[in-house]
Amino acid sequence: MIQVQNIVQSYGRDKEILKDVSLTVREHEITALIGANGAGKSTLLSVMTNLVPAQSGQVLLHGQDIRNIKSNELAKHIAFLKQSQQLAIRITVNDLVEFGRFPHCGGKLGDEDKRKVAEALDYLNMGDMAEKYLDKISGGQRQRAFIAMILAQDTPYIFLDEPLNNLDIRYSVEMMKNVQRLVSALGKTVIVVLHDINFASAYAHHIVAMRDGKIAKEGPPCEVVTAQVLDPVFEHKFHIIDHDGKQVSLYYDHDEASACKFCG
Amino acid sequence: MTKRFFARQWKRMIIMSLFILLVVLSLEIGSMSDIGMMAAIRGDENARLVFVHSRLPRTIAVVLAAAGLSVAGLLMQAVSRNKFMSSTTAGTIDAAALGSLLPFIFFGQQSGWVQTLFAFVFALLSTLLFTAVINRLKIREVVYIPLLGMMYGGLILALSTALSFRFAEVGAMEFLQQIYLGSFARLGDFRFVWIVSIPLVLAVVFATKFSIIGLGADFAKNLGLNYNRVVMLALVIVALISASTFVAVGPLPFIGLIIPNMATSFYGDNLKKSIVDLMLFGAVFVLLCDIVSRLVMFPFEMNVSVTISVVGGVVFMMYLLRGMYGGKLRRRKATVA
Ligand SMILES: Nc1ncnc2c1ncn2[C@@H]1O[C@H](COP(=O)(O)OP(=O)(O)OP(=O)(O)O)[C@@H](O)[C@H]1O
Ligand SMILES: [Mg+2]
Repeated sequence: MIQVQNIVQSYGRDKEILKDVSLTVREHEITALIGANGAGKSTLLSVMTNLVPAQSGQVLLHGQDIRNIKSNELAKHIAFLKQSQQLAIRITVNDLVEFGRFPHCGGKLGDEDKRKVAEALDYLNMGDMAEKYLDKISGGQRQRAFIAMILAQDTPYIFLDEPLNNLDIRYSVEMMKNVQRLVSALGKTVIVVLHDINFASAYAHHIVAMRDGKIAKEGPPCEVVTAQVLDPVFEHKFHIIDHDGKQVSLYYDHDEASACKFCG
Repeated sequence: MTKRFFARQWKRMIIMSLFILLVVLSLEIGSMSDIGMMAAIRGDENARLVFVHSRLPRTIAVVLAAAGLSVAGLLMQAVSRNKFMSSTTAGTIDAAALGSLLPFIFFGQQSGWVQTLFAFVFALLSTLLFTAVINRLKIREVVYIPLLGMMYGGLILALSTALSFRFAEVGAMEFLQQIYLGSFARLGDFRFVWIVSIPLVLAVVFATKFSIIGLGADFAKNLGLNYNRVVMLALVIVALISASTFVAVGPLPFIGLIIPNMATSFYGDNLKKSIVDLMLFGAVFVLLCDIVSRLVMFPFEMNVSVTISVVGGVVFMMYLLRGMYGGKLRRRKATVA
């Protein structure tokens, strides 16, 4: 169980980025974090995973302040894929996924570790790409390789910051289905930052909308994906339609979107 | 998977054979042509003495120094996440030289141990300082860092030179000149090259950790690694290697820069798998340079650092130009945004 209690956070002496955020992560569910650029989503994830220790307030993992948990121990419970990965070194997909086992085996892979690596690669359909170097594959494939690494880390809690970056529609859907399976088949708890409201609406059990360092609204998709909630969060005019019981948002301006030139 | 495995074994076999060939060659070459390994094995007493006390230590020194500097370079590159970092391009060598000079000036000629210790402390402090400053400056262009580092090294060298002028009466100038000559023909000090084997073993033991820090602080933290501690360990290893090779054989420029770059394009950066190949690669390169240096003016020999500077300098320039004009190195820094 992860509980976030009254987090106030700032970088340096600048203004507060998170302003008294409290949240209880729902177990064995997908929680989607949405909000405009700069709302503080990534910062909240960094604090929840102790990448950046909380300045005021606390984050509890099973009742224990995560600042007091040894980093190696924490890495067996919480995995976090950052928004962007820097690749200054040349390694293969397989090398990367093997690094995911580091918290468990410290670099010396046993049979169990090798099995988990193979499973993770399979899960993301990266098996035949395992020996390719990361700088020789496409951005989307690289993204999947990093997800496979997080999967190999085999933690009950998985935090993903914009995992759909660089993925085409097909792989975005596939990725979200994979995330769904992580929850339904493996019992994981996933917190994921999504920019596409429709993906959040379709795949998340619970949506947290952030605005300006605060949680503007949280609840099931049917309560959050409404023009009333989203308009102020994104400072944009949304048009929500109902499609087979799921809410779908149209975010382009209706008046300006012109009809097809050819068919009138 | 298995195909890749065999490809890797194949590459390793080649470099291994090359290595063995060059070791034998290196042992065979000398001003007295009848003193080879064979003569020593046959039991010619004179041949045995020359072999055990001159040829063998020299070859071991070449191999250890080359392997050490290659590993040190790769560690520096992993820590700074910059393919242009090395002990040549971060002032480490010059700091080690200053460290060896100071005890000489103030306490007279010292044993190699004292020299190595001072060189180590100075190399470590200087590397820490340089890395901290570089991190502060947040320089975007990776190619500026080695240029800055070489200027920084030049500054330290200028300081050493000024000191050696000031203390010329105790022979500081000759001393400085002598320690800046990279040569495997140096007297007596070969023993200190053995120290290199300690950090080399450490580097092998912690190989995976060093690869992981190469992927960044956040990445390492996510895997439960104490980033700062591992970086510190890496820098201690780098300083230990730089200092002991410097005292034993002098500066061998560019090795730490070009060998890791060449080797990782063949073997990748996963140190656990490639560290042995990296060491062999470095050893092969320096053995070649050493043999060439001994043959160009046979029976006289050229300083090996000259040969290495010429070859290494050209390769470095190539990398630098490629880095400036959007070559491979730049692309490797690409981010997944
Ligand atoms: N390392 C940092 N140092 C200083 N300020 C930062 C840092 N990281 C983020 N900020 C600031 O904190 C605010 C929130 O950033 P954050 O990355 O959490 O937003 P976000 O909701 O993830 O946005 P995005 O959708 O663009 O990823 C921004 O105003 C940003 O400028
Ligand atoms: Mg973000």
